[in-house]
Amino acid sequence: MDHRLVDQFRRAIGREAVLSDPVQLVTYECDALPHLRSLPELVLLPQSAADVQAIVRICDKEGIPFVARGHGTGLSGGALPVPGGVVISLAKLNRVLEVDIPNQRVTVEPGVTNLEITRCVAPSGYYYAPDPSSQQVCSLGGNVAENSGGAHCLKYGFTVHHILAVEAVLPNGELVQIGSPLADAPGPDVLGLLVGSEGTLAIVTKAVVRVLRKPESVQTLLAAFNSISEAGAAVSDIIAAGIVPAAVEMMDAVAIEAAEAAVHPNFPSADTILIVELDGPSAEVSELFAVVESTCRKSGATRVEIAQDEAQRARIWKGRKAAFAAMGRISPNYYVQDGVVPRTKLPEVLGRIRELEKREGLRIGNVFHAGDGNLHPLICYDERIEGQSALAEKVAGEILIYCVEAGGSITGEHGVGADKKEFMPKMFSEDSLEVMQSVRDALDPKRLCNPGKVLPTPRLCGEVPGPYREHPVERAGLGERF
Amino acid sequence: MGVTQALRQGSPEDAVDGVVPPVVAVPESPEELAQILAAAALDNQLTVVRGGGSKIGWGRVAARVDLVIGTQKLDQLLAHRYGDMTVTAQAGMSLASLNRRLAEHGQYLPIESAFEQATVGGIVATNDAGPMRHRFGTPRDLLIGVTLAMTDGRLVKAGGTVVKNVAGYDLGKLVSGSHGTLAAIVDVTFKLLPVPLASKTLVATYADGKALAHDVAVLHGSQVEFTAFDISVSDQGRCILLMRMASSPAAIDAQAAQARQVVSSAPTAVSGDEERALWEEHIRAPWALGGTVVRFSWLPSNLPAVFSLLDRVRAHGCRVTMFTARTSGAGLVRLEGDEPVLVGAIGALRSSEHVGHVVLLRASRTLKGQVDVWGKATGANEVARVLKRKFDPAGILNAGRGPI
Repeated sequence: MDHRLVDQFRRAIGREAVLSDPVQLVTYECDALPHLRSLPELVLLPQSAADVQAIVRICDKEGIPFVARGHGTGLSGGALPVPGGVVISLAKLNRVLEVDIPNQRVTVEPGVTNLEITRCVAPSGYYYAPDPSSQQVCSLGGNVAENSGGAHCLKYGFTVHHILAVEAVLPNGELVQIGSPLADAPGPDVLGLLVGSEGTLAIVTKAVVRVLRKPESVQTLLAAFNSISEAGAAVSDIIAAGIVPAAVEMMDAVAIEAAEAAVHPNFPSADTILIVELDGPSAEVSELFAVVESTCRKSGATRVEIAQDEAQRARIWKGRKAAFAAMGRISPNYYVQDGVVPRTKLPEVLGRIRELEKREGLRIGNVFHAGDGNLHPLICYDERIEGQSALAEKVAGEILIYCVEAGGSITGEHGVGADKKEFMPKMFSEDSLEVMQSVRDALDPKRLCNPGKVLPTPRLCGEVPGPYREHPVERAGLGERF
Repeated sequence: MGVTQALRQGSPEDAVDGVVPPVVAVPESPEELAQILAAAALDNQLTVVRGGGSKIGWGRVAARVDLVIGTQKLDQLLAHRYGDMTVTAQAGMSLASLNRRLAEHGQYLPIESAFEQATVGGIVATNDAGPMRHRFGTPRDLLIGVTLAMTDGRLVKAGGTVVKNVAGYDLGKLVSGSHGTLAAIVDVTFKLLPVPLASKTLVATYADGKALAHDVAVLHGSQVEFTAFDISVSDQGRCILLMRMASSPAAIDAQAAQARQVVSSAPTAVSGDEERALWEEHIRAPWALGGTVVRFSWLPSNLPAVFSLLDRVRAHGCRVTMFTARTSGAGLVRLEGDEPVLVGAIGALRSSEHVGHVVLLRASRTLKGQVDVWGKATGANEVARVLKRKFDPAGILNAGRGPI
């Protein structure tokens, strides 16, 4: 990058906050979707909203594309740098600014991790509900960008349901307050548009989040089934009984095998296991949990294991949450997919995935949030075998088509990012995509704010499919993929 | 085109806050709606989209309305995917009839309206919610997909029909609370809930707001999970706390027992038809008689300050004939008095540091002439205006009336 520009950034935010050494830049060349890589020209480390504003103003004036980045745990390449552009890392904006227990609100900067919010309020008996599996390391700013979910969003909703207000820098450098800690701000829900816009409309510099009172009671069971359809019927019957579980998770035999190999949760060997968790007032949980248990047995569960204490529950969840990373134990490489189908279409779509598995000769493990139909097929392959990388990507893409054909979505929680934008026309008409583009053009007319993400464009050079590579965060044992 | 068949001359029943439109269009299909909208935009016809008309008076007084587009013929339930607990309904379907249909499969949309004729489109456009928002949020929290007619005649979709979906920009959220200023809502998709197995409401009466606010604060910090948790203060100053529990039968009994331990006055319990009637009356109370209805909000911990503020309003000669609120910090107050008194009361609310977003929902045209309906524009409103220039470049949609 031109020295004149580099100097502008240095003057604006300080010399030490501007990284230009290629060795340092490599850390930022990808997020947790490592097959898409691009080296940024500079990485900028603002320490305040004013710094972010100063950076964006320079970018706006000079026509430099910029990409905001939290802690780099995104799974869709949302923080993939843009050639010729800069990365704005929000990692140093990591202060918890206010904890207001009586009003159940916490104000944080975007670099605060998801779990840190819960840590701040746990002594008072509260928690922050959205729980992506990367919650130990992922940033709240990234959660806002991606509208992150988690295992418990069936009952508690997504990030968008828990963000009350944000301070953000628009692509023209203007600092705006969007939303309000008070209810019923009149006018279009711009906050609801910004949450989940994948860093393409604004950079969040502060957020007010809602925290919830910890439920009085939590109960978890694990049920083993001989078939996915029996497990699916159990889920349907639980929901038909008027129960909204906190979480309903399923794993198939491949995923169970991998989890066992990696973290030994002592899962029963089965075709399918179902994990159901209820939370809420004790009387409600104990009354409804009995219904869940008998429903599982009636649907043909060969074994039902009820967590008797916190340790047992933690073991069940460890097995479930480790399933992604555990695939590395049974396959040299794997591709993590994220698609959604209407819950009632799960057996049908899983049937198609199993046919695909047979036809293409790649093993596919299935881990999914069964309550809301969010599938995470894990496609196993070996990059050393000629053509398998490409085949894995083709298989992953075909699964998305099944999801759309079943009336679902190409992404439930990982986002479109750079990874899936070419699938957007499968879900939305050209007119719908053009209107979305007009939203973007209204706020970012120069197309500098995280360009090349979310909405389809011709494929960029260098955007080639590749194998799964372990993210530094995973390598350090700090987080798992979900 | 067939569009002309959908047009008729406006009459006083079609009036928008006292302004009779010369032309009313009642399209029979989404395509027809989109065509009419596009034609109106080309011709700079100032257009108001109308559902059941229950909230048509909300907003500033229009200098002119050239066209009203009614959605009453777009009133079909398009799909109730009960196994997936989602529903898609056309914008003109009433919430009441939608919930009757959903009940056939033991499900419901946990939104309440004070108005029998309120349509799902209008509810999303105003993001108007009732007491159950305490547990389930406002319409924007339940909306998972939307079809919109744009002013250029295009029909576009955002979101989808599955509860978990992060593909593309959430235009459904954007039109929530937009009061018809960005696009016409054609259909909406919501996530649903099973009808609870049992429901019970505790009703506690207090002599004053202070004791009530104390109990509210303690219950907010407890692990009792209310489905609705509301306040009602009548003309005579009688304060009532309404606590609804909806869950399994044993659970509501256990929770009621917990709540009783906290509540300082001895509450009575109601269920069944009596409970339904109680909530219906409570929801309709602010609108039941004449008067100015104002909406405002506060941080939950400021509830005592809200009571003091209303006392000050009364002390200045304004009658506060009804105050109903969610304990989470959102309420409606009905005011009566002559105009200078009302202007003073709204001024007092707007200048208070303890409340915000003071909006006149129902007010006379003359009062609206003296006090802005929406109050100070927010940061979000400024951003929305930038978007409106793309969505509605001719500026025809709810022109001059809406929040942007």
